[in-house]
Amino acid sequence: MKKSMTNRYKTFWAVTIPVLILFFTFNTLPMLKGIVYSFTNYRGYGSYDYVGFRNYIDLFTDARVGKSYLFTFKYALVGTVLVNVLSLIMALGLNSRIRFKSALRGIYFVPNILGGLVIGYIFSFIFTYILPAAGNTLHIGFLQNSVLASEKYAWVGVLIVGVWQAVAMNTIIYISGLQTVPQDVYEASMLDGAGKWKEFWSVTFPLVMPFVTINLVLSTKNFLMVFDQIMSLTKGGPAQSTESISYLIYRNGMDGGQFGFQSANAVVFFVVIVAISIFQMTFMNKKEEQL
Amino acid sequence: MSKRKIAQTLLAAIGIAAGALGLTGCGQGAPDNKIEVELVSYKPEAVAAFEKIAERFNETHEDIHLTINSPNEAMTILKTRFIREDYPDIVGIGGDINYSNFLDADLFMDISDLAELGMVKQSYLDMEKELEFIPQEGVYALPYAANAAGILYNKDMFEEHGWEIPDTWDEFVALCEEIQSEGILPLYLGYKDTWTCLAPWNALAVGLSDSDTCNQVNMGQTTFAASYREVAEKMRVLLGYAESNPYAYSYNDACTAFARGQSAMYPIGSYAIPQIKQVNPTMNIGSFTFPANADKADNVLNSGIDLHFCVMKDCENKEAVYEVLRFLYEDETIQIYLDDQGGLTCKEGDFAIPAELEGMREYIENDRMADYQDHHYPSEMSVDAMIQTFLLDSGEDSVDTFLTRFDTDWKRYNRDLIRKVQQYQKEMEGAQ
Amino acid sequence: MRKETQKTNWVLTIVLILGTITVFFPLYMAFIIAFKQPSEMTNDVAGALSFPARFSLDNFKQAMEVTDFWHSLGNSLLITLATIGLAILIHSIAGYAIGRAMVEKKSFRLIYLYIVSGMFVPFSILMMPLVKQTAQMGLGNRLGVILLYLVFYMPMNVLLYTGYLKNIPMALEEAADIDGASTWKTYWKVVFPMMGPMHATVAILTALGTWNDVMTPLVIMSGTGQNTLPLAQLNFQTQFGTNYNLAFASYILALIPILVFYIICQKQILNGVANGAVKG
Repeated sequence: MKKSMTNRYKTFWAVTIPVLILFFTFNTLPMLKGIVYSFTNYRGYGSYDYVGFRNYIDLFTDARVGKSYLFTFKYALVGTVLVNVLSLIMALGLNSRIRFKSALRGIYFVPNILGGLVIGYIFSFIFTYILPAAGNTLHIGFLQNSVLASEKYAWVGVLIVGVWQAVAMNTIIYISGLQTVPQDVYEASMLDGAGKWKEFWSVTFPLVMPFVTINLVLSTKNFLMVFDQIMSLTKGGPAQSTESISYLIYRNGMDGGQFGFQSANAVVFFVVIVAISIFQMTFMNKKEEQL
Repeated sequence: MSKRKIAQTLLAAIGIAAGALGLTGCGQGAPDNKIEVELVSYKPEAVAAFEKIAERFNETHEDIHLTINSPNEAMTILKTRFIREDYPDIVGIGGDINYSNFLDADLFMDISDLAELGMVKQSYLDMEKELEFIPQEGVYALPYAANAAGILYNKDMFEEHGWEIPDTWDEFVALCEEIQSEGILPLYLGYKDTWTCLAPWNALAVGLSDSDTCNQVNMGQTTFAASYREVAEKMRVLLGYAESNPYAYSYNDACTAFARGQSAMYPIGSYAIPQIKQVNPTMNIGSFTFPANADKADNVLNSGIDLHFCVMKDCENKEAVYEVLRFLYEDETIQIYLDDQGGLTCKEGDFAIPAELEGMREYIENDRMADYQDHHYPSEMSVDAMIQTFLLDSGEDSVDTFLTRFDTDWKRYNRDLIRKVQQYQKEMEGAQ
Repeated sequence: MRKETQKTNWVLTIVLILGTITVFFPLYMAFIIAFKQPSEMTNDVAGALSFPARFSLDNFKQAMEVTDFWHSLGNSLLITLATIGLAILIHSIAGYAIGRAMVEKKSFRLIYLYIVSGMFVPFSILMMPLVKQTAQMGLGNRLGVILLYLVFYMPMNVLLYTGYLKNIPMALEEAADIDGASTWKTYWKVVFPMMGPMHATVAILTALGTWNDVMTPLVIMSGTGQNTLPLAQLNFQTQFGTNYNLAFASYILALIPILVFYIICQKQILNGVANGAVKG
């Protein structure tokens, strides 16, 4: 038996090592390189110097970077809350006694399979032409101007598209969560004479809590990394009001000659994402235990 | 699914994948025994002209094969390729800060032994010199085409209403008032693409500030707050005569609107003419220099190098590349480009000024021209977006906020450059 | 029985049916614009919402030419299929090896955490160094994009596969061991087929991610003359110019393959996604 066990581990190592090498080469190594570049004034081509912590110091004084963090957080926070509330409602609806259940579920998932970029282009047209046209015809003041052209509200336009796509995915996850709730739990609460509202909070919600955790972590991460929608809807405008962190890193790192500086930005962004994810998971775990 | 079925599906998928990789992987090499020369142009709108030029070149040259690529978002793609150290042989780019940066990064070859440089108009060679952060020995770019920016106007509309071409800022404002009173939109701006904000900005700035303003700031002799105040104020005036909410409409939208007669004028460069004509081929477009000043004598035409060719330093076939450059600089080749793109050539000689730019003739012939100021702005500073921010800011002290930000941001983004320039100055002084 | 006593909730059904307008409206707009001619584009609502004067495929034909549609479609198919195939082969066996070994060995437990923690690495930090690195390795092409996807989806897929292992009793493997089969053989003969449902989930999640991804091909393959379907939409924006009809025909073309695939495999896709959430 001993021999077969060591053979078994030999096979495991033989499989794991190449995979590890692949992962290291295209994930860890570039990350380490990115950290090195973040201490230089590299433009991406030509020669460069090491500049110590200058890029990091600059990051905290750079108004544009600050603005992009503010936008991204605002977008992610509102987006995550909206998506989770909406998709939980949708899931409850789609999981109740309705007709055409599977067809409806199928239709509501469609936004998720479509690419963010093309969807962005379609919505961009709707925001720029269709809605203002409707506003003019129906004399609705706030519709008459394209929301994407407003420095104050352009982020709402981006948010609508982001939420439209994300709700689909999270609804499906919540539905599968609701299906794990055994029927007899409901029957028990029926006997207690609990109302629908109370039933939801005291029975359903605690049981789908693990799915809330998954959805919160997933959608926060996706919203924080928003890129496609920005690229197709606003390109960061107007007045840099919708520049997401990913977009800024791409725009100025690849195109603007800030390879080094944006590498520093990316390192900070990475730390922020890890911190938020860890916080969410520990916090939600505690909540789950409490319930 | 049975395991066999899974295995079969997988094998099939991988087989298809591998097959497709193998099939399309080859077949991209140059035709046999020919030296391959690759030119990347940053003007996707000129793709038709360049295709014609490449075809003609390849018909007449047996030993060299020329490929001209004009990708969309070419500057990003070009920079990505530089990051990858995947260099073409020749790049056709604009005479702007990107050129200065590439040159500073030592990417280009000295082409001072190219005879064609002797045929270039002096003012453009001077413009090239000004683009060098630190004066270089040698020549690194062959100026090809220039453009001019000011105001394009709808000639038929002007004739119909009897409007006069304005020579001064006050006349210009009066004209806008008059057009507006007749129920026509005077200007179309299309500020959604931030770069379009720079078109009127540059045209105003060349008239209202010195052409080497940026350099003066780098040497600490002036500030933008002092030089650009009037430019900023006049930019705001334009808004009153344009479509409401110009930030909703892109460059494409603005070109289309102007072509369809939705506005009488359009403050943009000559580069927009082909696009406008695409929408309305029979449109009668006229142009005039932006009347930025109170006195006509102070007005300056905004003209810069729209396209010049640079040879990459590590290019292997200098002779073949020079042959391509010589071909590009033949009169007939230049004419193909001009016929398609409009604009002005940088070569001395008998080239017609396009009918649309007739209104700018006296400035062109008397050399009363200055380069785009934004050719000296670092792209990562995004001055275009700063201008857009400023125009959207309806606060009372918006001009001050904007100019203060301009000065502080400038120092930060140009820190390495300013240090380099000052170090160079010190060295020069030390040498004397 | 509760099921029989409760009737269909018709109010909710109707509300949900009406709600599908939010899904259909943008698609409807894209669809009719793609068929219209530029001259039919008007500035009022009725005109914007109306059907095109006639359904002609000219816009689509032209869009196919402009964006080199078949070529881009081929690239997208190639990249997605190759990624899925390799992901199922490589990630499943990695998940198996790590998942089984980490029960007893701390070193594998660490490897597991190392790979799964890759989930939190944003592409932004890898992007710029990867552009340089793939180019230096001669991987600034479709093969490079496939390899990168394999690495990017490795954390999620390894997590899914190791999680699923709990459903496969050790006894089966032990039985095969006693029969004298090697671990390698046992895996392909016994374990791999048993992970069928998870293969489907991995395939679907990986496919949805790679098919629609813009950023990776944008930075890795731009300028090589190769496009994926979404990348082509981005790259041909200027060629579309002011012709929104042409642009929308191209967008519709880009959406059709995945829509068709979805309509055919809708059930599997929804199950796959749900499966991923439950097991993940």
